Parts: sequence; C-alpha cells; structure tokens
Amino acid sequence: MRDEAAYVEFAQSSRDRLRRTAYLLCGDWDQASDFVQEGLIRVYVRWPRLVRNGGELAYARKAVVSAYLDHARRRSSTERPAEADPTLASSEDVAVTVATREALMAALAGLAPRQRACVVLRYFEDLSVADTAALLRCTEGTVKSQTSRALFSLRSTLEESPSGEPAEGAVSW
Amino acid sequence: MVNELRELMREASGHPPQDRSDIRALVGSGRRRLRVRRATQVGASALAAGAIGLGSMWWLNPTPPDLTAAGVPRAEGPVIDLGDARPAVEGQHYRELTSYTNEDLNADNGQYFDGVTDDGLILFRDGPRSNQLYPRFALLDPATGEKEWLPRLDTEQSQMWAAELSRERLVLLSPDATGAGGGPESALAAHVFDRSTDSWSTLQWPGLPDTDGPWGARVGPDGRLYTKVPATRTQVPEGGWPMGPDGEADDSGASGESFDLWSVSLNDPSDVRDEGLRVGSFGFDGDRLVWTDSSNGAAGMVHVRDLDDGEETSFDPRLGDRCNLLGFDVAGGRIAMTQYCGTYEGGVRDDRIQVMTTEGEEVITVQDSGVDAGDLVAGGDFLTMTAYDRATGGSYVYDFDEGRLLRLSDGHSPWAVGQGPTPGDQFLWNEPSGTKVPMFGRSGATVHLGELIR
Repeated sequence: MRDEAAYVEFAQSSRDRLRRTAYLLCGDWDQASDFVQEGLIRVYVRWPRLVRNGGELAYARKAVVSAYLDHARRRSSTERPAEADPTLASSEDVAVTVATREALMAALAGLAPRQRACVVLRYFEDLSVADTAALLRCTEGTVKSQTSRALFSLRSTLEESPSGEPAEGAVSW
Repeated sequence: MVNELRELMREASGHPPQDRSDIRALVGSGRRRLRVRRATQVGASALAAGAIGLGSMWWLNPTPPDLTAAGVPRAEGPVIDLGDARPAVEGQHYRELTSYTNEDLNADNGQYFDGVTDDGLILFRDGPRSNQLYPRFALLDPATGEKEWLPRLDTEQSQMWAAELSRERLVLLSPDATGAGGGPESALAAHVFDRSTDSWSTLQWPGLPDTDGPWGARVGPDGRLYTKVPATRTQVPEGGWPMGPDGEADDSGASGESFDLWSVSLNDPSDVRDEGLRVGSFGFDGDRLVWTDSSNGAAGMVHVRDLDDGEETSFDPRLGDRCNLLGFDVAGGRIAMTQYCGTYEGGVRDDRIQVMTTEGEEVITVQDSGVDAGDLVAGGDFLTMTAYDRATGGSYVYDFDEGRLLRLSDGHSPWAVGQGPTPGDQFLWNEPSGTKVPMFGRSGATVHLGELIR
C-alpha cells in the first residue's frame, strides 16, 4: 500500500543528518538514535502525503524535534553530555577538540529545551526564523527572543567554562 | 559569532558512533503505528485512554462517534457497533487466570506474555532492556506464579513472534539480521526450543527468498512453516493519496498487494518449497488452507482448499469499495477480516471486522470508528477485538453462539504486552496502567490472561 522502497531510501539517506541534529538537542548519541527512530516512524505514518507535498525531510526534522521536546517535557532537563570517547583523545589537537566539544555540549545542556531547539535549528540546520517558528509552532518573535537568550546564555557559560583556553578561545561571540 | 557556533556544532556532531538501528525494524514499527494511528492521536491528547473509566466526570465521558451522521456507509449483512456491547462480568463471562503489570514502558522495555503453550504455561519474556540486551524467556505457570527460566537463546537482539507453542516445542520467529536488508523484506529465522532436550536451535533457510517478515508466517497442519514472499506491491497513485477530512493521507481503497506462498521445514534448513500459490492473506483452519487474492488493500476473492483432497472453493467476500484488508484470521469454519474503509467527516473512521463462514456466508460485521485487530479465539467460537476511540476504547469479545458483544475493559494500551497463540478457551488482552504520558496515553500496561466461560 505504501511505497516502502522510497521510504527506506529516504530513511537511510536522512537518518545520519537527523541523528546529528538530535544529538545536538539531547547530548547523547543513543538517545539521539531513539529520537530519530521515533521521528522516522512518524514519517512512515504520513509518508504518502509527505511524498505528494515534497516535505519529507522537513517533516522528519520536525518529528525528531517534537520527540525531543516531548521527552524534555516529561523529564527535568538534566541530561549532560556523554563522556568523551577516549579513543579520540590520543593527541593534543584532538584533546583540544574534545574539550571544545565538551564545553559546547555542556553549554547546550544548560539551555531550556526550546532555546536549545532554536539554536540547533537556526545555526546547525540553518533554518530561517520563519521556518524555525513554523517547526516549533510559535511566532517569529518568540524564536528571535529565545535564540537571543540562548546565545547570551551560551556565551556566558562558555566564557566560564573550566575546560580552559580552547573552549574560551573557540567561542568568541 | 554565529558562524563559529555553526562550526562548533558541526564538529561536535561530526563523529557519531555507529548507528545500529535497523531500518527494517523501523518499517515494521511504522506499519504497526499506522494501524493504530488514531490511537496515537488520542493518546497524545490531554485525555488518556485509561482515564475513560472515570465516567462520573462528565468532561471525561466523550460521546461515541456517530457513523451515520458522518456519512459512513453501512456494511452489508448483519452489523453491530461497539455501542451494542454489555460489560463483561468476571466469573460469569470469563475467568481471569493471571495478569502482569509494567508500570513504565515509556522508560524501557519490560516483561511480556508472548503466548500460552498447549499445556497452559505462559511464555514469559523479560526484555531486552537497556541493562539486559537480550531477551530472557521463562515458562510461567499461571496457577502458581512459578517461572522456569529457559536456557539463554544466543542470538542477535531482535524482536520475536511466537508461531507455535506446543507441548513439544516453542517456535519463535524473527527477521534475520544477516539478510539482504535495506528494504521492507527480510530474511527469516526461526528459533526452536525443544522442550524434551531443553535446548534451542536456530534455523535459517539459504534457499528461501526474503519474506514479508515473521509476523505473517504460520505453522501449517503438516508442521511446516508457511511464509509470504513479496510479489506485487501497491504503488502510491500519481500525486499521492488524497487527504481525508482529518488532514491525514487517506489510503483507503488501495488495490492491494500479493505474495508468493513458500514453506520451509522447521528441522531441515535445506527443505524449502515454493508452494506455487499467490496469496494476499492466508491462514489454516484444521486441514484447510484459506487465503485471499491480495491484502493491505482490496482482498479480491477468498479461496478455501481442502489439503486432504485438494478440493477448492472460492467466493467474493464483498468488502466495501474503499475497504483495505488489514487483518485476517481463520478458525472453526469462520474467517475474520479486519478492514479500514476510509475516514469521514469529523475524523470518523469506517473500521470493520467482517466475519464470514468458510462457505461464504456473512456472520456478523462489527463496524465502528477505531475498531481493530479481530482475532478468532476458543476454536473460532469467539471473536476478540480492540478499539481506540476515546468513547469506546477497550477490549471486546463477541460470542457467536449467544450473539452478544461484551466489553472487557474501558481502555486499551498501545503497548504490545500480550500477544501470541493461546490454547483452548484462553485469550490475552491488555489495559493501560501507570502515569499519563504523551503519545502512548499511559506509561505502562497490564496484560491479562483470561478464559472464556461457555
């Protein structure tokens, strides 16, 4: 009944990107996979209409963000980034990278869920204010104010980061 | 400033660990979600199905959908709706043999009843859970509550479905992770537990093409496993499916899809046979094979073949023009066909469970919005079903002899905590439990094992 081959192709081609977005939202790769799985199941349910309207990826992104926000509403937003992968920290350069990443993920974890979603959608997914507002079902003004507060908070957190110079130097805005 | 943030986020997310999720499992989950999509919407609303029992609170007592007012055409033959049901009384209509509650399936997997053996023991499954990556199985005596844990089944983490739970062996099916993969088809694996030697064996059949999945496979009267290999798929029409009044894509009236029927030995991996028969849905009623021309859309004709003498009869089940055949069960000379027949004004669905005899006579059609999963139990003398509408949600049982519909519960959980074959007059149903959560209504579910009183 459904064009499942097309769905499978879409799911395979989009899930890595969606998983990165979900990771930035929640800070945990396993949980990100769960959100992507939930999002892609929602995509399957609406697949025929999405195909007709050409909005597969946009809906998938929205579904993943919704799954994250649903989860965040159920729990206090206490997730912290997973421990750094020790296999990556084998040289000084990589150590700097890991520290910067940890600082960023810690700073993102300190944001309210919708603020975090605004930042990820605006600056990772490169969505416009209007598109972000449509995805989050809020006004453009809300997106602007949430993003502004998030950026202020990120700047403050990263400047106070105990992770040292790399994080401070990497985030100068 | 923000450009640096962009770079940081790209770098931070640029080294993901391997994603071990299975697209085929995703498709399977999508199919199941599709079938209960109205339930999902109900669950995501402020009112959880489990709260329906608070009938004295008027704002929690919604009105049942009015199919006539919504313009839903009446099915042919004798028709009842869920409003015709009377409450089932424990001790009078059924006996509860045991139950098990998972309070929070939203956080992690829990424990499940995967069917009941012919000698009355529940196949109890624990997990897989986040801190226990493989499922553990036990045989649970409902009378004493004692569990006998089975040896560990050494296999990939995978969902399994019980195809046979006899005194001699337990047959569980799973999609084979080593199959071709990628598409909705999957290689099939069977895990057979020999109860006399207390040991597991896993079978795969190199000569068997990828199948539609383990959920439609059945053990025939000859002890062989019959499974469907995809042959034709319904294509989405040019421009996509039309949008229904509820804003959802309405794929009612699809042309259906068909499969080639294959069978395999549960002892010999080289014993694989193309049965030379194209089917939609199929099932066995004793020594008779019953099948439709197509499924997941139009059904076509129903065919009944006597496997002893090869005699075959066919009839038109006269599904409505917009009816998609979604579920199929055969027992005791009856055929239950679960159908979705379109969505009408106000989001009212035309859902049907049509029961016919294997001779082609109409028995009864349960027609209502959100009725689903018609299963024949107790040798085909009773029909169990579930419903997802806010007003009528719950589990029901129809008694063919008495001609009465009984409502077992005021809520049905989308968590599949109880499924699989049951012997004699036993049957499984569930209710929501736990705390209210988005999406699934309640965080947990209680599975009940009951026995019908004749």
